[in-house]
Amino acid sequence: MSEDAPVPFKDADALIKEIDAAAKADPPPAAPDRDAAPPAPEVTVVAAGGEAPAPAAAPSGRPAIVEFKHVTKTYGDGPKAFTAIKDVHFRIEDIPGKGEFICVLGPSGCGKSTVLRLIAGLGPQHPPTTGEVLVDGRPVVGPGADRGMVFQDYTSFDHMTVEDNVAFGLACRGVGKAERIGQAHGWIDKVGLSVKNDARKYPHQLSGGMRQRVAIARTLILSPRIILMDEPFGALDPSTRMQMQDNLVALWRDLEATVFFVTHSIEEAVYLGDRVHILSSSPGTLLREITVPPPDRPAHAMQRDPRFLEYVFDIRDTIETLEASRRAGDD
Amino acid sequence: MSDGGQAPGVGGGPPGDSWTKRLFRLREEPPYYVRILLGVSSVGLLLLVWGGMTSGDIPEHRAISPAVLPSLGETAQSLPRLFGERGLIASIAASLTRVFLGFGLACVIGIPFGMLAGAWRPLNAFVTPLVIFGRNIPIAALIPLTLMWFGIDETQKVMFLFIATVPFVFSSAASAVVAIHQRYVETAQTLGASSWQVFRKVLAPLALPQVFTDQRQLFGLAFGYIMLAELVNAKRGLGFLIQMSQKRSQPEDILMILVIIGLLAWLIDKTLSWFQRGLFPYRRDL
Repeated sequence: MSEDAPVPFKDADALIKEIDAAAKADPPPAAPDRDAAPPAPEVTVVAAGGEAPAPAAAPSGRPAIVEFKHVTKTYGDGPKAFTAIKDVHFRIEDIPGKGEFICVLGPSGCGKSTVLRLIAGLGPQHPPTTGEVLVDGRPVVGPGADRGMVFQDYTSFDHMTVEDNVAFGLACRGVGKAERIGQAHGWIDKVGLSVKNDARKYPHQLSGGMRQRVAIARTLILSPRIILMDEPFGALDPSTRMQMQDNLVALWRDLEATVFFVTHSIEEAVYLGDRVHILSSSPGTLLREITVPPPDRPAHAMQRDPRFLEYVFDIRDTIETLEASRRAGDD
Repeated sequence: MSDGGQAPGVGGGPPGDSWTKRLFRLREEPPYYVRILLGVSSVGLLLLVWGGMTSGDIPEHRAISPAVLPSLGETAQSLPRLFGERGLIASIAASLTRVFLGFGLACVIGIPFGMLAGAWRPLNAFVTPLVIFGRNIPIAALIPLTLMWFGIDETQKVMFLFIATVPFVFSSAASAVVAIHQRYVETAQTLGASSWQVFRKVLAPLALPQVFTDQRQLFGLAFGYIMLAELVNAKRGLGFLIQMSQKRSQPEDILMILVIIGLLAWLIDKTLSWFQRGLFPYRRDL
């Protein structure tokens, strides 16, 4: 694969053929089952960009905040090779003074987390097998505080109090004790916890939702330009989840950061996102990018709106159709 | 007993769930007094069997000869002698000093190196052959070696305990760090922590409670080696006392010393556990 030249959205169909041909040429005895899908009839696949013309259609010379150039990640080789994501290709502009909220949707095990971890620079997903992951025009070399990450579980340092957890990144930067605890208190308040009651608690004294609030505060206090969230609300009950969504929307408006939010809840994706990226099941490919209206009301109100539900059903249908045509092309 | 809420009746206890029934529940901790009762009854049972096998007015009537197993009374009567003419207190002090020095040295060296090796695997790969070797050599073989290397005085005894325990200390510390979920490391890295900061602020403190628990158990191992450490040229010490009792054919003294060693080990473990709860307030499971 040698197309690093700017040929992003020329002809999806031809592109697929090229890549499949390349993939076939690589491993000597063609990999079994799904990986060795015949190239031809996946016509609907990779409409990326074609479907929703990127908001900033003219890149205006500035580098994209995040860019995936035909990224494929394969583990192992020969017949045991497993492809997590295949030819994922997209570009996110850095909208000045705002940033974008991208939700990544897809079935379990489709490589949603792989996309996130490639941006974060975390192994073993990083580095990609082929293709390039660029942040601000430069290839990702490893994790850093400019790309904050919130995980679903194991989110708090159990040996630190809430305020020390939130101040962790500042402590690593060498910010003095009084200064960083002061800032931490500000963020504890912003994420809806009580400085008076919670700041000196240990994580084991908090509920799951409160621990996620700590994790979010700990990431946002560093004002990262990119925020990566890997199903952060996946383990929470529905009403806590909606509260957290509202809180996140409110915080994000002040941040001017680009958010990547992985979820398998279509409602969550449609509510939070400016744009929804739909990934196919394994090996994950970017099936479609869909622009959705931004959240303008609290979650419990907006998620009952018929127009909102229409978007949700629409995306659900789209996913089913895309998956069906992919499967049809598989055998 | 702490958590209610899985099966109906835990805690509340409807009439159908008698305490006998609850004794047979899987993984349910019995109430405090039941636990104490069960513990006491196991010791009681042992004493009962012991008493039964050694009862009889004259030695010929006993199931087991007093030369093999003295009766409970005879064992208890050895206590004044042990404390008096045989200098039990001085021996306990001597043995504990040796164990604290030898095992303490093993901790001072083994724990930091082990934790570093758990975080930085090349070091682990480098040391692993030595550790496997050290964990599996026959401990008794170290006696003649340490005698040749360190002479016959205190140094030999301390170094023997050190060499015997440091491989275990090292590997327990290494595996405590290895067991920490990678997610913590990744979180710290995405918050901008350097490798050294991840180790110092995240890996080491998260592993420390487990390291402490392991050392509590390994202390028992070190204490168990006391006999071997005091085989040669000891003028005091519990091992030395046991050896002398064997030479004098006083099995009741040996039994009594073993009981005292057991009580001592229990006391030390309780003290360490108390420290542990104070040191790690964020681990309520300790």
